[in-house]
Amino acid sequence: MEYLIHLAILFAIYAILGVSLNLVVGYTGLLSVTHAAFYGIGAYTTAILLTQSGVGFFPSIVLGVILTLITSFLIGLVLSKFKGDYYALGTFGFNTILFAIFLNWQSLTRGPLGIPGISRPELFGINFASNFNFLILALLFLGLMYFASRFITSSSLGRVLKAIREDETAIAVFGYNTLYFKLVIFIISAAMAAIAGSLFASYITFIDPSGFRLMESVFILAIIILGGLANLRGSILGALFLILLPEILRFVGFPADIAAQMRQVVYGVILILLMLYRPQGLIGEYKL
Amino acid sequence: MDIIPQLILNSIIAGAIYTLVALGFNLIYGATKFFNLAHGVMAAVGGYVFFYLAKTLGLNIFIAVIIGVGLAGLVGYGLDKLIYLPLRKRKASNMVLLVASLGAFTAPQAVIAILFTSQFKTLSQHVGTQKLFEVFGGFITQTQLIILTSVVLITAGLVLLLHKTQFGKAVRAISDDEEVAKIIGINTNKIIGYVFFIGSAIAGLAGILVGFDTGIEPTMGLSLLLKGVIASIVGGVGNIYGGVLGAFLLGFVENFGIWKISGEWKDAIAFALLIVFLIFRPRGIMNK
Repeated sequence: MEYLIHLAILFAIYAILGVSLNLVVGYTGLLSVTHAAFYGIGAYTTAILLTQSGVGFFPSIVLGVILTLITSFLIGLVLSKFKGDYYALGTFGFNTILFAIFLNWQSLTRGPLGIPGISRPELFGINFASNFNFLILALLFLGLMYFASRFITSSSLGRVLKAIREDETAIAVFGYNTLYFKLVIFIISAAMAAIAGSLFASYITFIDPSGFRLMESVFILAIIILGGLANLRGSILGALFLILLPEILRFVGFPADIAAQMRQVVYGVILILLMLYRPQGLIGEYKL
Repeated sequence: MDIIPQLILNSIIAGAIYTLVALGFNLIYGATKFFNLAHGVMAAVGGYVFFYLAKTLGLNIFIAVIIGVGLAGLVGYGLDKLIYLPLRKRKASNMVLLVASLGAFTAPQAVIAILFTSQFKTLSQHVGTQKLFEVFGGFITQTQLIILTSVVLITAGLVLLLHKTQFGKAVRAISDDEEVAKIIGINTNKIIGYVFFIGSAIAGLAGILVGFDTGIEPTMGLSLLLKGVIASIVGGVGNIYGGVLGAFLLGFVENFGIWKISGEWKDAIAFALLIVFLIFRPRGIMNK
């Protein structure tokens, strides 16, 4: 039971990452592969504040979000100059640079040693040290992010984003400042990833840079492409499948370390097969 | 001890390795106009095939090199025929090809990790007892001398191949305009298949050489690929001379960049260079 709760918490965290990335990749058509960097900023902010100062979990989320808003604004500004596959390469670059900062700013992040002993949150006398309580918290956040994203995509902002995806020049001719809309959705999505990072740091109670490298961004991208672009439920489905996949592989009889690699094999093959036979993913509404 | 000559030598050797990756990458980009991210994994394929043949089976190293390079080429050829060719025939967008190549990169890398574990392995027979040569006050190992020689030979060979043979003419025609090349009777898909073979084989050789110089690990492909991509873009993507220029520029910037700060910042420096180029000169040094 405890194990199922553990998986459910991981699922909730990755579902938040998937839903938020889908806003940028699926709805706006920008192939961003730097989500793990923002996820990392949230995680590190929470980890550092909880271990080295008296700041609580919830204020640390706010601070992580603010920090991410600033970072993603600057990154988004640079990225706005690129298009298509060059955009993707630019995001590779920012993920690598932020990863290098997590790894090398040793006085702050302790580098490859990571930060242990991050405490679990407490609010209104409810202690989230038990996994079950934490699961409730994670699901609450997932619900919040999901409905916020639903609200965005069904609002006029969402329609402008889809228009940018379909034909950026056309919507610009109608007087929409596309740069502004692309920036707004990029930083909203990054802020959501930071919240997922805060949850992750507090739940696992230990973080190190390896969780926020480029391959992690590729993994999140695989989640939303599998589930389906421009479909928020698809991202949740994708997260569910890819989180459960190594467990299924272990159940079939692979040892744990091989199961982790097998997951990469499977999602690599899934990406290829989807591109070949179903580029819109399981229930997606937009093809790359 | 004066450090400048050694820094220059290190830069040249790094540049030579990046040249090998950039040559193949550019060749493939020129013919297909998409970023083949799976290109890096060919280096890992070459390195590990060599490792298995020469160190586990004890085969003669020259035969092992030939088989390793050949197999890397075949894997590249296979990827084109199985994945990229069907996608190109369907006129899939560059993003679809990019995501598919991301999958084609993730899966083989994990397969290698399953077969050979993720441990770092060195290919060199005699660690620490290599002959050192003194050049202008810096030192260079025998392996590094072999690297430099093979890079010069391969670059020269490729230039001759592209400019003096019928095949080279066809490749250049496809790089200029695939549709027109098709109209004048060039079997473009066949030629592109060969281009994949040659490019991947060169990457395989790069993997083996890196293995001799430092060592191999399953994830080596990604960092090599990214350096190759950066070199190509900085130099002028699709232009093989530009790739060589970019590779050496990258080698120098990286090695002089880490002169005063820790070596772990290397990747971040490389990407900073990429982003600067993407902003100010997105078509690279050589392309107008």
